[in-house]
Amino acid sequence: MHTPLLIIGGGLSGLAAALRFARFIPDVLLLEGHSRVGGLNSYYYRNSRLFETGLHAITNYADPKEKNAPLNRLLRQLKIKRKELALHQQNQSEIHFLDRQSLLFSNDFNLLEDEINQKFPASFAGFQKLLALITAYDPFKTEFFISAKQVIQHHLQDSLLTDMLLCPLMYYGSSIENDMDFGQFVIMFRAIFLEGMFRPSGTIKDLLEILLTHYKGYGGQIRTKASVAKIIYDNKTVKGVVLGSGEEISCDYMLTTIGSEETFKLLGKPSGMKKLPRLGFVETIFELPPKAELERARDRTIIFYNKAKKFSYQQPRELIDVNSGVICMPQNFQNLPPTSFTEVRTTHLASYKLWKELKNDPDSYNRAKENAAHSSLPVAEKILGNFAQNIVYRDTFTPLTIERFTGKKNGAIYGNPVKIKDGNIGFDNLFLAGTDQGFLGIVGSMLSGVSIINQHILPRL
Amino acid sequence: MTRDAIKNLILEIIEDIDEDADFDSLQSDKPLRDQLDLDSMDFLDIVMELRKRHKLQIPEEDYPELATLDSCVNYLEPLLADA
Repeated sequence: MHTPLLIIGGGLSGLAAALRFARFIPDVLLLEGHSRVGGLNSYYYRNSRLFETGLHAITNYADPKEKNAPLNRLLRQLKIKRKELALHQQNQSEIHFLDRQSLLFSNDFNLLEDEINQKFPASFAGFQKLLALITAYDPFKTEFFISAKQVIQHHLQDSLLTDMLLCPLMYYGSSIENDMDFGQFVIMFRAIFLEGMFRPSGTIKDLLEILLTHYKGYGGQIRTKASVAKIIYDNKTVKGVVLGSGEEISCDYMLTTIGSEETFKLLGKPSGMKKLPRLGFVETIFELPPKAELERARDRTIIFYNKAKKFSYQQPRELIDVNSGVICMPQNFQNLPPTSFTEVRTTHLASYKLWKELKNDPDSYNRAKENAAHSSLPVAEKILGNFAQNIVYRDTFTPLTIERFTGKKNGAIYGNPVKIKDGNIGFDNLFLAGTDQGFLGIVGSMLSGVSIINQHILPRL
Repeated sequence: MTRDAIKNLILEIIEDIDEDADFDSLQSDKPLRDQLDLDSMDFLDIVMELRKRHKLQIPEEDYPELATLDSCVNYLEPLLADA
């Protein structure tokens, strides 16, 4: 079989890329190794209901009139109407450093500004200067690493506020330890604080189905359970792929969204990239009855917390580090239709290496999963109020779960710490989009797929 | 295709990209991008729609020819002569 464009990976960047291309040229084949599309943002069935993976909240909220905002550009590029998604904005979220300070924020940026003015008055003028820098900065221009921590600290002169601002941005998209590239910080700051968070009224399954329906409507082809065993190339030109089934598919252009190292593995070629530690996470979903009350955090959408003396964002020395993390209440968005359950989701940094050591011993692995959930519960209850007595169901995923279902190396959801911003991996007709290109979140990853198609492939076909 | 028909074609494509686009104050000799809030990603849609609708292959180096409504018409007139 031959196809003009072959896309490897049916996550959101691959789906968006495929849809963008199919709008103009329907001859595109999307390959997904798993039985469902979505990649990190997918779903599964347990306890006779659908559970979402990945999706806590979508960042980059924008009003319809803000035409150049990432969300609206994306919808235009994919020719999807906002109405189809039915967007719900967050209530409000919080950065909570226990026994120290707390900052509320919402999709109205004034709230965060007021909070900083009130709680960190000495840093407020510096924060305004930092804000001016963030607004004017072009994050796609610089090629070398600039430490976000140093820039923020320089402006704010307050290490607690610096850490508090970094905490949500790191948890929602940093692939490197204890710092961020300033460009990445700017992207995340805009996405979370200046634009804000929302979710669609349906589940991630509904969102994926909207994308698939549009894609198939243009004539695009998709194959699930189609894992790629090998990419065939000659010098700097890729020729096609060999599937796990042995079938060969040739193509003129190829887009890979599965990660840079993961792609080089299929090429059978060393990537030559620096090997830096990858960050793994453990997430536990606590299911409570519908309308269960969380007394101390009734309306909170997301809480980013830290209870350690010094906030650290790094691979832990234990299986899981509950000193900091994210607590998400996915039902707490404005005007969401009622659900038959309440959820509390906790996410913490985890050590892939230590989880991997348990892989061949199912008993220890399952016990470790239990322990992870149990160690996460007290801190969640300290912040939200007691809810353990109401738990009706619980599930935990580890870096191994994520690696198994998504193919992400070491289960690292934010991928390789080294990003390839222009999507160029040294081939004439093979390009990279998705997590390892450096755009993160649902809107970001989809824009990544779209922009690599626009930049490298559409004008040339 | 007449010059007017080409002009309408371009406007129709733009309206398809952004249904709120305001054509009333559009000056045909000024860059479309500045007047209509189009970014480079939207701009590519014009090229791709021309390809889809009229099988026109516009090489990347010719994209600047599509900057204004007038230059679009000038550039497309010979290419769409038989359309």
